[in-house]
Amino acid sequence: MSRFTEAVLPPAATFVATTLVAELAIRAAGVSPLLLPAPSAVARAAVRHAPTLWPALATTAQAVAIGLALSTVVGLVAAIALASSRWVERAFYPYAIFFQIVPIVAIAPLLVIWFGYGIRAVIAAAFIVSVFPVIANTLAGLRSVDPALRDLFRLYGASGWARLTKLSLPWALPNVLTGLRVAAGLAVIGAIVGEFVGGGGLGVVVLEAMRQQRTDLVFAAVLHAAALGLALFAAVNAVSRLTLRRWHTQEKDA
Amino acid sequence: MTNPLRTALGSALGSALALALACAAGGCGGETQDAAPAGAAAAPAGLRLALNWKPEPEFGGIFEAERAGLFAKRGLAVERTGGPGAPVVQMVQAGQVELGIAAADEVVLARDRGSDVVAVYATYQRSPQGIMVHAARGAGSLAELFASRGGTLAVEPGLPYVKWFEKRYDLSRWKIVPYSYSVAPFLGDPEMAQQVFVTAEPIAARRQGADPQVFLVAESGFDPYTAVVITRRESLRANGARIGDFVLALQEGWRAYLDDPAPANAVMGALNTEMDAETFRLGAAAQAPLVEDDFTRRHGLGAMSLERWATLAKQLRELGLLDRDVDPQSCFAEPVLQD
Amino acid sequence: MTAAEAKRAAPGVAVRVQGARRVFRARGEPDVVAVDGVDLGAAPGEFVAILGPSGCGKSTLLRMIAGLDRADAGTIAVGEGDARDTALAYVFQDAHLLPWRTVEDNVALPLELRGRDAATRRDAARRAIEQVGLGDAARRHPAQLSGGMRMRASLARALVTEPRLLLLDEPFAALDEITRQDLDDQLRALWRATGMTVLFVTHSIAEATFLAERAIVLTRRPARVVLEHAIDLPAERDAALRGDARFAAETRALYAALARGNASAAA
Repeated sequence: MSRFTEAVLPPAATFVATTLVAELAIRAAGVSPLLLPAPSAVARAAVRHAPTLWPALATTAQAVAIGLALSTVVGLVAAIALASSRWVERAFYPYAIFFQIVPIVAIAPLLVIWFGYGIRAVIAAAFIVSVFPVIANTLAGLRSVDPALRDLFRLYGASGWARLTKLSLPWALPNVLTGLRVAAGLAVIGAIVGEFVGGGGLGVVVLEAMRQQRTDLVFAAVLHAAALGLALFAAVNAVSRLTLRRWHTQEKDA
Repeated sequence: MTNPLRTALGSALGSALALALACAAGGCGGETQDAAPAGAAAAPAGLRLALNWKPEPEFGGIFEAERAGLFAKRGLAVERTGGPGAPVVQMVQAGQVELGIAAADEVVLARDRGSDVVAVYATYQRSPQGIMVHAARGAGSLAELFASRGGTLAVEPGLPYVKWFEKRYDLSRWKIVPYSYSVAPFLGDPEMAQQVFVTAEPIAARRQGADPQVFLVAESGFDPYTAVVITRRESLRANGARIGDFVLALQEGWRAYLDDPAPANAVMGALNTEMDAETFRLGAAAQAPLVEDDFTRRHGLGAMSLERWATLAKQLRELGLLDRDVDPQSCFAEPVLQD
Repeated sequence: MTAAEAKRAAPGVAVRVQGARRVFRARGEPDVVAVDGVDLGAAPGEFVAILGPSGCGKSTLLRMIAGLDRADAGTIAVGEGDARDTALAYVFQDAHLLPWRTVEDNVALPLELRGRDAATRRDAARRAIEQVGLGDAARRHPAQLSGGMRMRASLARALVTEPRLLLLDEPFAALDEITRQDLDDQLRALWRATGMTVLFVTHSIAEATFLAERAIVLTRRPARVVLEHAIDLPAERDAALRGDARFAAETRALYAALARGNASAAA
């Protein structure tokens, strides 16, 4: 069995089995499609409303991509600043945690007032909910740099910039990627919530479908959002595999 | 100012799934609740009623009936539930509640999607939904407004009447954005227009210093019954008498509220502190002609006509919102009234 | 470069430690005196083993000599003037390579940090890699190497700057016996070829005996010198020497001193 088959077959089998069981159970129970549409009904809605869903998905994906890119850049810079001294960390880290606990749904209307309707408010929502995991994980990575390697860099008179670019950041890369994996899923959630108030994308499709009693389309839109999250997760994993292929954790654990 | 977007948004996505789960857990049959022996004993018969908004004048008759003991007099114990963002149609369909408040277009849409919900009482004969703009724009009608220089229109995504506007008027100069259940953006932008209930937001906006002008959606020719009491046809068959009693009590409640809204407004004001007493008073006055008109004077408060349902079904079909023709007769029912 | 040229290019420097003392203070815990009044030294080009029980403060001493830690009292001198800044290399207990770099790029790191150009770095790195016998593995990543190979790479990284003083902190302790002896042989050969001064911290009597010209035995913490002992063995040393009676005699002397140091501190 190839590695691809090994990776794809078990989840695909789970998917097919779950879908089948759901289909049969929902049909057997005679559940109203208004409450819980059968998988086949959701699939039909996805096909039928593809002209609505695909452009919406593209809009949401764009906001998520920009939000996530912002989270990465800002998260890295913030983590580097926080790691620069214990004093800075003590002074600012509690406020970074704000991003983790902020109830995005509650402040979403404010985003519209600050950024106006449209993609900027959506990007802001995606950014706000996804930046903290990047900060927290990167900071943990920067803090975990092997002390012996720090000594080595000191011994050879490395500049602060060299320490950062040749030691701390590469060392923290696995943590950064872990943070991004978490951030990717959150950014999708943030974007959808942002779209509830800012307009556009799958968020509005969900609201429209709710208002028009199209539960099948609600599920189809939610599945498109989930697929977007999964795709981002897979992309981060691919980057991880490519960049970390050559390191082994044992070296870092040593 | 209005409202908890949090609830609205949270439930928008969550409720469908939560309901689906509740359903999967076996709550979908619904018959069990309805099948309780009707009026078997002196114990009051329970009815659960899901509202789709906070206590506001649109529910005046319900709160008056409750306050004045009109439900109790008929042996009913009505338990209110729901609120902003509650998926009322789904709750009724799932049998979580016997009764709910929805708009007539939701009933037609739900029936098109295979649901069995029917309307038994129409609070508003003429829809209280409107579009609020700043009076300074100087528009004389909806047609004039949409033909003017354009702006931003904040409406709940998916509202059938917005599709209707798009069909009737040219909205290309208007940027349509989601309504966030707050008049704050409206107050801050002279080019902004938003959806309202004439009983609430325009009054709030005026009290916050704006000079709003409201055009009723009905003016455009799209005029669904609003704040409609819905139930399932199955419930009607099993518990027609009890639901009939509810409708009678509600009529009495509305009669009393129209005559003197103050007592029920006090009750609602205690539950909804975001709206002050004056706003309640003004809202009740503003809605009175929408609740009581010549038709209700002939047929009773809450009465509905086949013609109106047929028009609505036809309009929704034309807008492409229905997958098949919906029989207008099936959308509403006169419960079996007790003598 | 021949051995003779290397010797001219990087002659070893002297090390002088006098009255060194180091106390670690942590809030809420009693002070720990790691090193207390240690005097020791190494002549230019000498190979000195510093022997002591685990946790006795040997590493602290070595770190102070490297300038990675400061002494609370006493003086530490390496060569003359700024010798410490330019001519010193340090080998840790484990390889501590950068996992994202190839062996060659790891070995070249010290030169990179000192701003040498790419060609110089590459030539020097390849030379150092050859010196430790890792020629085949230059393009491989640390994760693809055995423990012994990683340690060789670490040694090459220390040699790449052609240090005049090489400090090693129990570098081969984690390796199996055969690999360790192999690396000991190689280290001794490198020392003879380059003429650098070597301070080698270990807790292994056999390793100290085999490698060094002179052994300094420390007590348990706080470290003090109990014995300075010249190892009386021929300059040419090979595996067979480990079975020799002279080798056994030297180890006995060191063992006695180590036991004495242990006892005196315990008393």
